[in-house]
Amino acid sequence: MIGHAMAVAHKDLRLAFAHGQGPVQAILLGLLLVFMFSLSAQPGERFTPQQGVAIFWLCSAFGVVLIFSLLFRFEEENDTATALLLSPLPIQGLWLGKTMAGFVLLALCQVFFFPAALVFLGLDPGGSLGSMLVMVVSVDLGLCILGGLVGAMGHGQGAKDALLTIIVFPLQIPLLLGGIRIGVGLMQGEDLAGLGDWFGLVLAFDAVFAGAALFLFPHVFRGE
Amino acid sequence: MERMHSRWLMLLAPAAMALMTVGQYFIWIYAPEEATMGLVQKIFYFHLPLAWWAFAAFFGVFVSSILVLVTKREDWDVWAAALAEAGVLLSGLALVSGSVWGRAAWNTWWTWDPRLSTTLVMWFVYAGYLVLRAADVGGAKAARVRAVLGIVAFLDVPLVFVSARLWRSIHPSVFASKSGGLEPEMWTTVWINVLAWGVLCTALVLTRYHGMTLRHRVEAALVRMQEKTLQ
Repeated sequence: MIGHAMAVAHKDLRLAFAHGQGPVQAILLGLLLVFMFSLSAQPGERFTPQQGVAIFWLCSAFGVVLIFSLLFRFEEENDTATALLLSPLPIQGLWLGKTMAGFVLLALCQVFFFPAALVFLGLDPGGSLGSMLVMVVSVDLGLCILGGLVGAMGHGQGAKDALLTIIVFPLQIPLLLGGIRIGVGLMQGEDLAGLGDWFGLVLAFDAVFAGAALFLFPHVFRGE
Repeated sequence: MERMHSRWLMLLAPAAMALMTVGQYFIWIYAPEEATMGLVQKIFYFHLPLAWWAFAAFFGVFVSSILVLVTKREDWDVWAAALAEAGVLLSGLALVSGSVWGRAAWNTWWTWDPRLSTTLVMWFVYAGYLVLRAADVGGAKAARVRAVLGIVAFLDVPLVFVSARLWRSIHPSVFASKSGGLEPEMWTTVWINVLAWGVLCTALVLTRYHGMTLRHRVEAALVRMQEKTLQ
């Protein structure tokens, strides 16, 4: 299944960058959000670590919606969804592939969000880079696992898929709280072991929704 | 089946009315006034049953959603809709009553508390679920999409609760100690009101299920009539 998933992810990433666009929409929206939030502070005033990290994850949450909308839109053109469903590819492999592609695109977006947050919000990154990466990867995984499942629900819905955001954002709350609290803790010099409860929560979210997605994805992405 | 639901409704609706009346007697006359909070504590007798039955309704959505996927019977989807409506209504009322109580007890309309926050997040999730239902998101696979949402939404409940608890809490733990800090009369009042709201909630769900089933039948009959006219 991993090989199939890698093939789907590779296909999606090639399509995403085929026209030189990639996740440009998600990156621009995130940068715009960071800039707009920066307007809420007086000139020279710095955001608290909690505010800054919350804005960073908010940008990522919006980015996930746009990224998975893009990834599932590929399967609408020329009805490639039917082709994928008829192929010997295990359906869960398709979800995994989309999740992997989404993960890469989200990480790419965050490469832009992170310095933007430092510059516009006046944040001091501090903390260990390795721990930060572990935290970002585990929260991103949860966002993409859920994104892959919900994106499949919006597949073929046209403008209606935008409505799914009203349920995605509340579902992401435990993950975003985890990301915010771990991010703030790391910026203030705590290590990952000291934030074990939060890290456990994030990993639990990843595990619960990965299990649910493996079981539920075939029910929402199938031929009629 | 339809008749059986109607019969249950004929039984449950007056029972709910009678139990709610008895519940009011227990709240305002039988239960003693709490020493610290005074009359405001009476909100507890509404707030607790509302919150409990809201969560029971959300659990019902979860079970019905699983049954939609397992049995492929669409009437479970209608049950899920009826339960979600009841859950959103009850959790909304629980939030409002909790907020009023919080203002009187903690001098704040809102606080980041695990139970309050979990209820609010679930209210958002299931209100969104109802909006998606109304918009008919999913087209031909709408029932399956809704079922998946119903399952995923409930899986989030423990995670939201734990995250909100880790964040911070000032909510009283009524059931933390054996007696819960309540007098026996207060306990009796709690259980009578839990029962009354439970019966009312069941009657509400049955009413909505009945109404939605009738609407589907009328819509199907209209489609058949239109098809005949075209022929």
